Amino acid sequence: MRHATSRRIEGLPAPVQGVAQTLVDWIPLGILVVLWEIASGTVVAEAVLPPPTTVSSRIANLVVTGEVFSHLFISLFRIGVGLGLSILIGVLLGIGMARSDPVENFFDIFLSMTYPIPKTALVPLAILWLGVGTEAAILIVFLACLLPIVLNAYNAAVDVDQNLVWSAQMMGTSDREMLYKVIFPATIPEIMTGIRQAVPIAFIALVSAELIASNQGIGYLILTSGQIGNYPTMFANIVIISAVAFVAVRGFEETRDRVLVWT
Amino acid sequence: MDVTADAEGGFDLSRVIDIGKSIYSLVILLVLWEVVGQLGLIHYYFLPPLSAIVARFVELTLNGEMLYNAYLTLYRALIGLAIASVLGVIVGVLSARNDLVDWFFDPIIKIGYPVPIISLIPVFMLWFGIGDLSKIIMVAVGTFWPVAVNARDSTRQVQTNLIWSAQMMGTGDRRLLWRVIMPAALPGILTGFQIAMPLSLIITFVFEMVAGGGGLGALEIQGVRSFESEQVYAAIIAIMFIGIGLDRLLRFTRNRLLHWT
Repeated sequence: MRHATSRRIEGLPAPVQGVAQTLVDWIPLGILVVLWEIASGTVVAEAVLPPPTTVSSRIANLVVTGEVFSHLFISLFRIGVGLGLSILIGVLLGIGMARSDPVENFFDIFLSMTYPIPKTALVPLAILWLGVGTEAAILIVFLACLLPIVLNAYNAAVDVDQNLVWSAQMMGTSDREMLYKVIFPATIPEIMTGIRQAVPIAFIALVSAELIASNQGIGYLILTSGQIGNYPTMFANIVIISAVAFVAVRGFEETRDRVLVWT
Repeated sequence: MDVTADAEGGFDLSRVIDIGKSIYSLVILLVLWEVVGQLGLIHYYFLPPLSAIVARFVELTLNGEMLYNAYLTLYRALIGLAIASVLGVIVGVLSARNDLVDWFFDPIIKIGYPVPIISLIPVFMLWFGIGDLSKIIMVAVGTFWPVAVNARDSTRQVQTNLIWSAQMMGTGDRRLLWRVIMPAALPGILTGFQIAMPLSLIITFVFEMVAGGGGLGALEIQGVRSFESEQVYAAIIAIMFIGIGLDRLLRFTRNRLLHWT
């Protein structure tokens, strides 16, 4: 397999080479930021596209004054609870469906019917049931994240090495112990894959719910600052939620790689 | 298939039982839904009886409102997706084949892909207004990333042996691209489309809910605002049909195109 070998820098002392390589790798983004800075106020009105310097000073301002944190914590709380519930129920459902025919017969039809519905289309339904606010956002995050986790847990539990199960049975493992000690541990890597797929989905579901059905949270802040024409704050909050989403995905990947040392 | 049951005269009892086992839970739920609604156990506004929802769905379909809104949503989602597919495949394949293009796009994709694209809706409203154009551009920007990344990664993984063999036999660059690289990368490219398709619908629905302008998302929100919950449920039924239809279409296309794998 070929890898990105573009513009590889060689022949420098090791530490310098690392720094130089990073710089070269990120030049394109630097060019874009500089173009943005120049374009803002000349090609397009500064109000429509505030320059990066304005946006970054607004981010610093929001962080220093602590203004962003109350909304950010609410958003993170919604993601945490929604994703947490979807992991708990998704793993139970996935393993249950894989190991028991009655469970599979009961739930399979619901999963295959809801699978093609984009879960954000259910935001109005969440408003109907739960009103505008945290509960509606949690429900949407939960529903959006549930399927990738169920599917991965299900596939993993179906594929558990039958030799492992037989060996455990031969050594007198009870059915209940089998679930906790054999099947669940064997499915953990795939469950992690499911969660990895669910994290970016959670952020999309969260922002969708907050744009439509909330009066708190980062999504709400983005929408209202746009509506009142406070565009630097709108862009600043978009950068903040994107950075949080990025850190969440990378953080999860790092943790997973440390925890799953046996795979 | 169960051969013994077939021999008994065409009526395949075990098949019927299998189907019964797999749909009984849905039937129970639908019956419960209707009963609960008819008895008024749950307030009409939260959960109208199934029959009322189906009646509204039929009414909206017959007077053309449902079809028109579905057309608006599909038009926006699919045009945007088509633009993203063309640009994404071009950028992805070029990135995999050309170091300079890769150098330029790699950091942009690394930063652009993880952005929760929905958060940019207010920005697109500011830049392009709330009309069709704005929604189409938003869908195109949002679905570009998965298409480009899958096209790039699958093109990179085309076996160098295949390329060398073709080159050794005197295949020109253009033929190499169309006859060797593209077919080998096609499964990955189609996977990109399969990820992008639901995303195009998500972006369109949410944009319609936030900014209006017709479409199924707007129809739903209208239902919430005018306290007509049957309309919300009816729109979700239409969305379910569209989702299932597009999913089937992509799978069918994939099987047709990849019959050689």
